[in-house]
Amino acid sequence: MIEVEHVTKRYGSALAVDDVSFRLGAGEVVGFLGPNGAGKSTVLKMISTWLPPTSGSLRVAGFDVEREALEARRELGYLPEHNALYDTMRVFDFLRFMGKARGLFGPRLAERLDWVVASCSLQDVLRQRVNQCSKGYRQRIGLAASLIHDPRVLLLDEPTHGLDPLQVVAFRDFIHELAPGRAILFSSHILSEVAAICERILVINRGRLLADAKLDDLRAQAAERGIDLERLVLEIVEERSGGREAALRGGARPGGGAA
Amino acid sequence: MAQSTAPSAASATGRASATGPAPGFLSGVRVIATRELGAYFDSAIAYVYTIAFVALAGSIFMNEFFLAGRADMTPFFDLLPLLLAVFLPAITMRLWAEEAQKRTIELLLTLPIRPAQAVLGKFAAALALYGVFLACTLPIPIMIGVLGDPDVGRIVSGYLGLVLFGAMFLALGMFTSALTGDQIVAYVLATVAGIALVLVGDERVVSVLDGLFPGLTIGSTLYDTLAVLPPYESFVRGLVELPAVLYFVGLSAALLWANALVLRISRA
Repeated sequence: MIEVEHVTKRYGSALAVDDVSFRLGAGEVVGFLGPNGAGKSTVLKMISTWLPPTSGSLRVAGFDVEREALEARRELGYLPEHNALYDTMRVFDFLRFMGKARGLFGPRLAERLDWVVASCSLQDVLRQRVNQCSKGYRQRIGLAASLIHDPRVLLLDEPTHGLDPLQVVAFRDFIHELAPGRAILFSSHILSEVAAICERILVINRGRLLADAKLDDLRAQAAERGIDLERLVLEIVEERSGGREAALRGGARPGGGAA
Repeated sequence: MAQSTAPSAASATGRASATGPAPGFLSGVRVIATRELGAYFDSAIAYVYTIAFVALAGSIFMNEFFLAGRADMTPFFDLLPLLLAVFLPAITMRLWAEEAQKRTIELLLTLPIRPAQAVLGKFAAALALYGVFLACTLPIPIMIGVLGDPDVGRIVSGYLGLVLFGAMFLALGMFTSALTGDQIVAYVLATVAGIALVLVGDERVVSVLDGLFPGLTIGSTLYDTLAVLPPYESFVRGLVELPAVLYFVGLSAALLWANALVLRISRA
């Protein structure tokens, strides 16, 4: 469903993403883990068709995101990092707009609106303007908008940001319900959050993909060495980033030399 | 995310759809236009601009109308180009700059719509608001018709000229809004460019420009190619001439195309 092949992204001389490759199939929920500035959002933006890669290729449900951007977007639901919404619109009008912009009209639109409103628990704020809603509600509105067209591929950039602990638990359950038939890639810099939802994680730092592993395998490795999962992932990041200092520095690499 | 009452994702949606839908070209344009028009009328923008425009244009014209005492709308059409050069950028300055400032542009342009659909949708909304401006000035020709015997053909062609003139200036304002992420900068750029297009159609300005660079005849060249007043004035005189129509339609289309191009380039 998502194919990322040797993708590189440069901003001038800064290398934001360095030769990243991975694949996601239907039914997979994969966590994209890395510190702030590691390149997670840049990769998601490229998959979403918002940013073109400098080199490499990306495909969504078989569609090339550059040459077949419209087709790829039809298959995508995308919750961007900052979850920017049309603030002055009322929540219901905003969701209806997103549905229509996705080609939904009439009974199908009404059906999908009912579903996302119920699924994201937005009944209480439907008549409010988006800018009157709390951060948690805004996040749920963004999630509802990304699901309105029942996409086969879901990209969620820091989706639990702003949610309270109860909502985070509800979100995890919801993602599990959504998973059948879909590829879901969601980014986070919190390992426990990723570990609670996913079976597989991608670890990225300084633009490079450092690990693509099943969580069960990592847990087994951690148990074998008598350390916890967090410590193991940190060691992987340090070892493959060229030491602790480089690992902590994160961010894009000027010049683009190998780390 | 509903904790107890949420329908099961799988049961409500079945298997996720094979290929998601997408609006047709015109349908996509209409969806964007409706949202933008709603944004204008959902805030004070549309009401404040309309009242200010009609009050200013109406009062300036009525003063001249009573002084001249003629049932003629030519003075009304003559005063509008400069007024519109100042007013229309206020309609368009938010269209792209606000999307960039609030980062909603990422949301908009990752929907399955083409940049051309987004550009035309926003343009249609701005044009509709401008249509409201013009509709609010219709009591003037009605009043003139009651008081005297005006040339109806000239009034109709004058309004057609205003529509085409406004469309071009809206396209110009949208283009400057796409160029910058700042609404004030977008307004200033569009206003300066609009006033310049009006002024190079003034013979006094042409003489000054030609005098500054005698060998180059810059003023005359600009007058012959870009000046907005010569084609506009043919409508005011009651003539609907093909070159004048082509000037407005051609420049509007070129600016809208450039707008869509800026959207594509700015993402890289």
